[in-house]
Amino acid sequence: MQIGWIQVVEFRNYRTLNWTPAPRLNLLQGPNAQGKTNLLEALGMLVTGRSFRTSRLAEIPRWGAESSSLAGELGRGEAEPAARRTVRRTLTKLEDGGWQNAGEAVEWARAIAFGWQDLEIINGAPGARRNFIDGFATRLYPAHLATLVRYRQVLARRNRLLQGGWQGEAGAARLEPWNEQLAEVGMELIARRRKAVAALQTELARVYGALSATRGKVEVRYRTALGEASEPAALLAALARARGAELRRGQTLVGPHRDDLAIEIDATDARAFGSRGQQRLVALALRLAEILPVTEAAGTAPILLLDDALSELDPGVRAEVLRELGTAEQVFLTTPEPLAVEGAAVFRVNGGGVAAA
Amino acid sequence: MAHYPEPVARLIDALQRLPGIGPKTAQRLTFFLLKRPAEEVRELSESLVAVKDRIVYCQTCFNVTDADPCRLCADPARDARLLCVVEEPNDLMAMERTGEYRGRYHVLLGALSPLDGIGPDDLKVRELLGRLENGTVGEVILATNPNVEGEATALYLARLLRPLGLRVTRIARGLPVGGDLEYADQVTLSKALEGRREIS
Repeated sequence: MQIGWIQVVEFRNYRTLNWTPAPRLNLLQGPNAQGKTNLLEALGMLVTGRSFRTSRLAEIPRWGAESSSLAGELGRGEAEPAARRTVRRTLTKLEDGGWQNAGEAVEWARAIAFGWQDLEIINGAPGARRNFIDGFATRLYPAHLATLVRYRQVLARRNRLLQGGWQGEAGAARLEPWNEQLAEVGMELIARRRKAVAALQTELARVYGALSATRGKVEVRYRTALGEASEPAALLAALARARGAELRRGQTLVGPHRDDLAIEIDATDARAFGSRGQQRLVALALRLAEILPVTEAAGTAPILLLDDALSELDPGVRAEVLRELGTAEQVFLTTPEPLAVEGAAVFRVNGGGVAAA
Repeated sequence: MAHYPEPVARLIDALQRLPGIGPKTAQRLTFFLLKRPAEEVRELSESLVAVKDRIVYCQTCFNVTDADPCRLCADPARDARLLCVVEEPNDLMAMERTGEYRGRYHVLLGALSPLDGIGPDDLKVRELLGRLENGTVGEVILATNPNVEGEATALYLARLLRPLGLRVTRIARGLPVGGDLEYADQVTLSKALEGRREIS
């Protein structure tokens, strides 16, 4: 898919911007703090309706603005001029001080973002890896997001009950309906995450092999206390076993919110593996490995939003990354310093404006 | 800084306490009411007091009513073997608008909600069990909302009622009539698929 044009109003540091990007590789150059990442965020939000940087809507509008809006044209494939949709998204300040996000969903529109924070997928806490796999699973199976929201709702209510210290039979009867929901929704989450991990595996091995030019074998596995089990009954049984500890600690101790991904290179945990540059390369490979499965699921290629993806990489690796990007459709790549790439459209981002370089 | 005269400020303050009404809307409503004829405003204030004075909960089904037992509970034409359990009186009204259901109702006046500290004892659960004692009811239809609280309430009641040896059913979740499969959200669609039926 492609973004034909975008209009950005009162969004982060942009007052108004009208921009027509190139259909393939767009290089966004400029010094730091001029709006490169903000522009990537706007492009991503135009496509998906959500920011890849924050879930707090109040951060997004330009300081002091009462509303913020994005408009643009999304196109599906070059061959079908008919498959073009103009979308509008607005953030409006509500009477109670909250923000409302409005705009239509485009079923086939997907964006994959890579940025500095992705290093956490490799060396951060398990939560970063769960967010990664949930993000990818949502791009493959849009229903995953609703399941995730529902799971969090059930979890919060169950934890509240555990904190209430209800003991004995009365406590068990109160927990029961929440256990059943947690088990059902939780297993639905785990099933999709496992499918997502399986979908990632082959491409990750190929992409990492191409980028690193080593024969290193990368593997991602889903790690859960439930082993291979796929029935809600297994999660229910695990909850029953953990009951005592759960009551003492006042929180749910088993379920997909405690799971993790094991990312290994030649059977060594990637966390312990090599330099920061190498870890960044694995993180980038994970994002690039998403492209093919997401393209197959959505029926059209996702747009790529790559924030400073080439820094800390060796020149040889950079060339491989750029070659890999050549197979993608529309790409937005920011760089702090000028970079010469064949066939790329180059734009300068400065002080909330974008100009062809 | 200028202040509103006391009666105006008081009304704005009172309106603001209603759900979904912020300060701006409360002001707009206040000035709207100021411009209306006095009898119209009196009518509004009287109807506000009347709901508090004249409306009670039916001591059988806990629907809101101006006579106890309510019309639905007193109606001999309603099938006493069927009992539909809902969260709130407005859910009962929604069921009634279908014109399809001819059984009786039981309103729980809420749903299990740990975040609000609402447990089974805060709902009309004991009263529900009391109504099932004489064995007239053969089927209980759990028509709580499809959100996590409503689902927990239905699961709790199902477990509680199972030993009583009556039929316990849950309303289906599915596609809205007149909708298009293509535009259904995936959760609804997968639930509809789960709840599919044999067609003859």
